[in-house]
Amino acid sequence: MRREVAEKLASLPPDERVLLRPLVDTSRGFYVMAGVFGAISLLGLVSYILQVRYGLGRTGLNRPGYWGIYIICFVFFIGISHAGTLISAILRVSKAEWRRSITRSAELITVLVIGFGAIQPVIDLGRPDRVLNVLLHAQWRSPLLWDVISIGLYFMSCTIYLYLPLLPDLAIIRDSGIKAPRFYRFLAAGYTDTPVQRHRLERAIGVLSIVVIPIAVSVHTVIGWIFAMTLRPMWHSTIFGPYFVMGAIYSGIAAILVAMAVLRRVYHLENYFKVVHFDYLGRLLLILSLLWFYFTFAEYLTAFYGGEPGEMRTFWAKLTGTFAIPFWAMVLGCFVIPLALMSRQATRTPVGTTIAGIAVVIGMWLERYNIVVPTSVNPRWEVESIGHYLPSWIELSIMAGTFSGFILLYMIATKIVPIVSIWEIKEGRAVVQEVADRVAKYSESYA
Amino acid sequence: MTRWGMVIDLDRCTGCAACEVACKSENNIATVPPHQAEMGRVMSWMRVLAHTVGDFPDTHLEFYPRPCMHCDNPPCIKVCPVRATYIDPEGIVGQIYPRCIGCRYCANACPFTVKYFNWYGPEWSDSERQHLNPDVSPRTKGVIEKCSFCHHRLQRAREQARAENRDVREEDYQPACAEICPTRAIVFGDLDNPTHHVAELKEDPRAMRIMEDLGTQPKVYYLRARR
Amino acid sequence: MRPTRREFLWAMGATAASVGLRWSSDLVWAPQVPDDLGWAPGTEQFVNSACLICPARCGIRGRVVDDRLVRLGGNPFHPMNAGGLCPRGIAGVQMLYHPDRIASPLRRVGERGADSWEEIGWDEALGQLGERLQSLRATGRPEALALMAGYCAGSMHDLWRQFLRSYGSPHYVAEDYDDGTSAVMELMHGIARRPGFDLERAGFVLSFGSPLFESWWSPLQAFAAFAGPDGSDDGRTRFVQIDTRFSRTAAHANDWVGVRPGTFGVLALGIAYVLIRDELYDAGFVERHVSGFEDYTDREGERRQGYRSLVMRNYRTEEVSALTGVPVARITALARAFAQAEHSVAVFGHEVTHAPSGLLSGLAVHSLNVLMGNVGREGGVLFGNDPPLDPLPDPRIDAVARAGLERGSLARTPAPFGGGDPASRFAAAVGDSPSETIDTLLLYYANPLASSPRPDAWREALERIPFVVSFSPFLDETTAHADLILPDLLAFERWQDAPTPVSYPYPVWGVARPLVAPPPGGKHAGDAMLAVARQLGGSVAASLPYDNVELLLKARARGLFRARRGMTLGDAFELEHHRQMEERGWWLPEHTEFEAFWDELVQRGGWTDLFLDETDPARLARTPSGRVDLTPAPLLATLAAAGRGGALYMDVAETSAATTDEFPLRLLPYRVSTLSSGTVALERWLAETPGLFPEVHWDPWIEVAPATAEAQKLGDDTMVWVVAASGRYRARLKVFPGTAPENVCAPYGLRHPDGELANPLQLLDGSSDALTALPNWSTTFVRLEPA
Ligand SMILES: Nc1nc2c(c(=O)[nH]1)N[C@H]1C(S)=C(S)[C@@H](COP(=O)(O)OP(=O)(O)OC[C@H]3O[C@@H](n4cnc5c(=O)[nH]c(N)nc54)[C@H](O)[C@@H]3O)O[C@H]1N2
Ligand SMILES: Nc1nc2c(c(=O)[nH]1)N[C@H]1C(S)=C(S)[C@@H](COP(=O)(O)OP(=O)(O)OC[C@H]3O[C@@H](n4cnc5c(=O)[nH]c(N)nc54)[C@H](O)[C@@H]3O)O[C@H]1N2
Ligand code: SF4
Ligand code: SF4
Ligand code: SF4
Ligand code: SF4
Ligand code: SF4
Ligand SMILES: [Mo]
Repeated sequence: MRREVAEKLASLPPDERVLLRPLVDTSRGFYVMAGVFGAISLLGLVSYILQVRYGLGRTGLNRPGYWGIYIICFVFFIGISHAGTLISAILRVSKAEWRRSITRSAELITVLVIGFGAIQPVIDLGRPDRVLNVLLHAQWRSPLLWDVISIGLYFMSCTIYLYLPLLPDLAIIRDSGIKAPRFYRFLAAGYTDTPVQRHRLERAIGVLSIVVIPIAVSVHTVIGWIFAMTLRPMWHSTIFGPYFVMGAIYSGIAAILVAMAVLRRVYHLENYFKVVHFDYLGRLLLILSLLWFYFTFAEYLTAFYGGEPGEMRTFWAKLTGTFAIPFWAMVLGCFVIPLALMSRQATRTPVGTTIAGIAVVIGMWLERYNIVVPTSVNPRWEVESIGHYLPSWIELSIMAGTFSGFILLYMIATKIVPIVSIWEIKEGRAVVQEVADRVAKYSESYA
Repeated sequence: MTRWGMVIDLDRCTGCAACEVACKSENNIATVPPHQAEMGRVMSWMRVLAHTVGDFPDTHLEFYPRPCMHCDNPPCIKVCPVRATYIDPEGIVGQIYPRCIGCRYCANACPFTVKYFNWYGPEWSDSERQHLNPDVSPRTKGVIEKCSFCHHRLQRAREQARAENRDVREEDYQPACAEICPTRAIVFGDLDNPTHHVAELKEDPRAMRIMEDLGTQPKVYYLRARR
Repeated sequence: MRPTRREFLWAMGATAASVGLRWSSDLVWAPQVPDDLGWAPGTEQFVNSACLICPARCGIRGRVVDDRLVRLGGNPFHPMNAGGLCPRGIAGVQMLYHPDRIASPLRRVGERGADSWEEIGWDEALGQLGERLQSLRATGRPEALALMAGYCAGSMHDLWRQFLRSYGSPHYVAEDYDDGTSAVMELMHGIARRPGFDLERAGFVLSFGSPLFESWWSPLQAFAAFAGPDGSDDGRTRFVQIDTRFSRTAAHANDWVGVRPGTFGVLALGIAYVLIRDELYDAGFVERHVSGFEDYTDREGERRQGYRSLVMRNYRTEEVSALTGVPVARITALARAFAQAEHSVAVFGHEVTHAPSGLLSGLAVHSLNVLMGNVGREGGVLFGNDPPLDPLPDPRIDAVARAGLERGSLARTPAPFGGGDPASRFAAAVGDSPSETIDTLLLYYANPLASSPRPDAWREALERIPFVVSFSPFLDETTAHADLILPDLLAFERWQDAPTPVSYPYPVWGVARPLVAPPPGGKHAGDAMLAVARQLGGSVAASLPYDNVELLLKARARGLFRARRGMTLGDAFELEHHRQMEERGWWLPEHTEFEAFWDELVQRGGWTDLFLDETDPARLARTPSGRVDLTPAPLLATLAAAGRGGALYMDVAETSAATTDEFPLRLLPYRVSTLSSGTVALERWLAETPGLFPEVHWDPWIEVAPATAEAQKLGDDTMVWVVAASGRYRARLKVFPGTAPENVCAPYGLRHPDGELANPLQLLDGSSDALTALPNWSTTFVRLEPA
């Protein structure tokens, strides 16, 4: 860090000082990690080029295992994207004060991950060169098209929803002059935090956070419908819409927890990501793990009672057959571990929640696997033989590439914007009294 | 209204697979190399499936030659985002290869798993190209294909009929599989035309359709084996 | 106007970017559309011809577009296959356009078998062969020439025979597909001919292991019978398959009966027992036309048991059931069904006769046809006629040739009632004689190094033969060891006649004619040999006075023209009309000109005569007594001489050793329906799904019962070694519930994708039937090991 920058930083108020430091102070470790993730992303890119050149034959896909890693990752990433917006929007709308330090990191996850999610189906196309046909020859009955639309909308609204609350912070950076003045002047777009501007901004954020909720719900509902609108065993189910939304939120929260734990360590944000945040999110995780179990149980029990032969072939393949390992690993990750850890105050610590978060993220990936693959390879008609699917290294490297690409962009983002919303924290401090009054009002009504 | 359909008599079918090979020959279906086949990438618009029950010596076997069912209510076309698969007014479910983006959604939506994907581009040696049927365009890599009820033969029959100022007759339009079947187990024609053999056979007490309960209304009927 | 620095940089950047895009798009996009296929609107033709891929010789109709063969279908005029075709036939287009075909003559340049060749012209190649043959005759050793011919029924067979005889060589070694049935017919009927089975008109077909719907003499004949006349369900033949494995035929038949290996004869006699006990057999027929049924006194004055006593004493259903594993009720039911059907016929072939007790088992099975009187008549066993072709001229045999022929064959005839496996015998004999006894070996349609059950005998034989010439258009194992390759034209490019196999009781003379033009410089093996004959001159040339095979066929067809019966092929109505006319004694000549007759014959695909005169007693028996003999005296005499006096209708169960701990399983080789010939690799369409199992592609497989696989801890779909005392080979294990637990069913003739042959026949133990010398192809003992 240059002297003058250090001096400027030192002259800022304490919140700014801590939260803007990562923007100007980059450790060797950061570069090393960025290099590693960059290299893996590049591997993914090269693999994709190979795949385009030679054809999807380079994957492990086949008939009837038509869909694999890419579709799994698609559902998974779009699920994670519910992290942010949905959570931060819900918390904002419900005026949960403890949200203030976590919304930004969540919203960032959302925007980046939608992008990485949205390219998955394109990666999966046999003819990516014809992707524009989706617009040129749109066929409105196709859930895939609904998906393109809802994901497009979602991406736009999330981007705005990320950007608006960024404005005051961008203005702060611009005014502090610690970094790229022209760039931040451009980004801050003339925002000067006058009371009028602030008021309008808050109105806009308020409206957006309401708008974004149904869009987010629609996104994962429609993804669920992609599967549910077919007649395939264990896909053709009305529960899939809500189940997918719930799962998306679940994996989103888990992803935030993991992100927070990492940010807290590397940027020393213990004062912002407090134990209580982990505790609260841990409670959410607990509730969702129970919900997850409820949905899953309901899904499988209905299938089991129906006892249709076609359905049962897939059912048993998951419970006791070929897919028993991913299935029970999923149950472990999505239910047993989070339930065990989150149901006790003693383990709802930052460490405990992080472990649970990681378990849920992996568990939810496996859930996507358990949805996509077993049905795909188990045709409904018992006369048709059962398929098999093993991803090729091309698919695995593209998957690794997208994961690292996401992490890399997230890392870079922490160098461009403060990962905790400065103005909202400050506002939070300012409104303590108002909140106290509000809380007093609730208690009064009991009196 | 003309509704082209097929009746396959399982009592006559000997599982010889002539229909399968005739279809490959007629429709320029590419073969894949051994390791690809091992992965499950064989393409065969008509596939003779065998279902074995019982141990020696009480074993029995049923054969089901399985083309595309050309459903009247086809779940495959509803899900295609680009209208690359469609049902024509005479009930034939077709593919538009140059438009298909290769998402394989239709393949997953088809409960009969009759859609085949070109994981790689087709390969023929120069000499093998000689036997390609000029009436049928070879597919490129990355697109879905399936049984077309030998649609190109219908086009020819129509042209012929138009030139002679008459309707298409039953014998004018027979797909390759029906034509070759040595036991005449495959009968093809207009299901709605009482003068066609299929119209009568589909009313046979032995007639059934696969997974009829799904409501896709297949236009391929099977006559149950008698024994 | 001078560009600013900024504009300049932009321009540079844009150029670089577009070049880069172009370049990277080449890198990224492999061609998406197959290159120009060179198609133009073309002329389309449908040409009738005959399929030469397997011995069935079906009628085909090729769709030819601009001189390219794009599809093969059945010739609807052909009475045997009536428009249908089997998958092998359809895949013929891939055989024709096989990328590995050899297009011009090759001469070996390196070591034998080292796969180094030089291309030479036909004149030079035929010149070299001609000179060699000339000098053999000049030195008085015409018998040093030998021909190993694979399947070549019809005029190619006659052409070769004529060539060798007039040349002076007794070594015409043919794999003539002896399935042992003609020995049975000779003994019982005095007719040394394989029987025809009139499946189409039969009401009930009881097949003793014959793979009717797979690789039988004519699967299409069986299919047509199974389909019944004109698509209606009335009058369809009922099929019951008796088999040791759950074969495709068993699966398609109306019913099937699982039986222990080697017990076909026992089961047949068990059925005969019920027929006699319940008086279901045709007593009138037996009385009028059969001898040896009742006990009798032979010429030596000795009292002998007749058929009835032998059966009634020894084949009670309980005992038969214990031996065969077929429940008593089933045996009784089979007998009743056999007796009650309008016309029933028991079909059998080499699965019965290629076993240690083969001949006797064959007699046992055929005795059922005799008991029911279903012989020499419609819907039963029929001895058909050969098409009345003009013969080739009598061969001119000069002094050199006479001397050569008189020196006789190297290989002795090994058995009283048959020639066994002539190819193996020849190889063994060459191995036993001094080097260069055989100087020149011609290989026509034969690949003994791969197809012989004794490949080492062939390897040794080839080493002792200085000059080996192969006519194969493919570099198969034996051709790879040749000195000169004179590649034949492929089927669909050449003229050849295609008589239907004897199993089809009505004579059909199909004609295969070129559907497409041969490649420039290609040559028909027959034309090549006619050219060599001309080069040799003298009596050889005089014996083969034809310019080419087309003219040879045309010359022979004059016999048909003159025959005053039969017709060129036609649709079902024409055929039936003609048959009924002949039945009433009418025959109307349709052509007065031979040329017009020939043109129509070629255009329609052949000639047939669907009427057989059943009243002719010679169709039933040509024995001295004029009766069908259930206890043939020559056989009894031979058995007595071998100390097996009472063995007729006894000892019909297989007596070979049982399983051991070392080799606990029994190997049952069989021919898959997709195989077009012994050792030719399957066409791609067929190789992709060669059999019943949807998961098996390209690889040879074996079928094992679930319990057996489990006991041996061998998983479904894994590669295993099939190990016998004499060797081993690799195959994919398929668990199949239709296999008996003690058996391993193994298709033969398949190759691994790398070309390696998986040949269960080479694991066989080399035993044979002492009466016919037919090899025991039915079984040997093996174990399985993980590969
Ligand atoms: N398509 C086609 N047809 C052909 C030929 C061809 O190349 N292609 N070739 C022709 C030739 S050369 C021949 S020799 C014929 C004869 O060839 P096939 O008679 O077809 O020969 P296989 O299949 O070996 O016959 C054995 C059959 O007998 C049954 N079987 C019953 N008992 C036993 C037993 O104890 N042991 C064994 N191993 N099998 C048993 C098996 O199930 C098997 O199906 O086919 C001719 N037909
Ligand atoms: N592995 C294996 N061995 C077998 C059998 C088997 O099925 N598999 N079957 C057994 C039986 S029943 C028999 S009869 C024998 C048969 O065995 P063979 O008589 O040796 O016959 P194939 O093995 O069919 O060999 C025919 C050869 O002819 C060549 N050929 C192909 N097309 C043409 C053509 O158009 N013209 C000419 N001139 N040549 C051509 C091919 O290169 C091929 O190698 O094999 C026995 N051995
Ligand atoms: S061709 Fe006919 S008999 Fe053969 S498998 Fe097909 S439907 Fe069955
Ligand atoms: S069988 Fe499948 S592909 Fe064919 S029309 Fe029906 S749903 Fe579509
Ligand atoms: S694979 Fe092609 S035809 Fe099928 S849904 Fe996708 S675009 Fe439509
Ligand atoms: S109708 Fe035509 S395309 Fe369909 S299976 Fe039959 S031959 Fe093939
Ligand atoms: S049975 Fe033989 S002759 Fe007939 S089509 Fe098949 S391969 Fe050709
Ligand atoms: Mo043979």
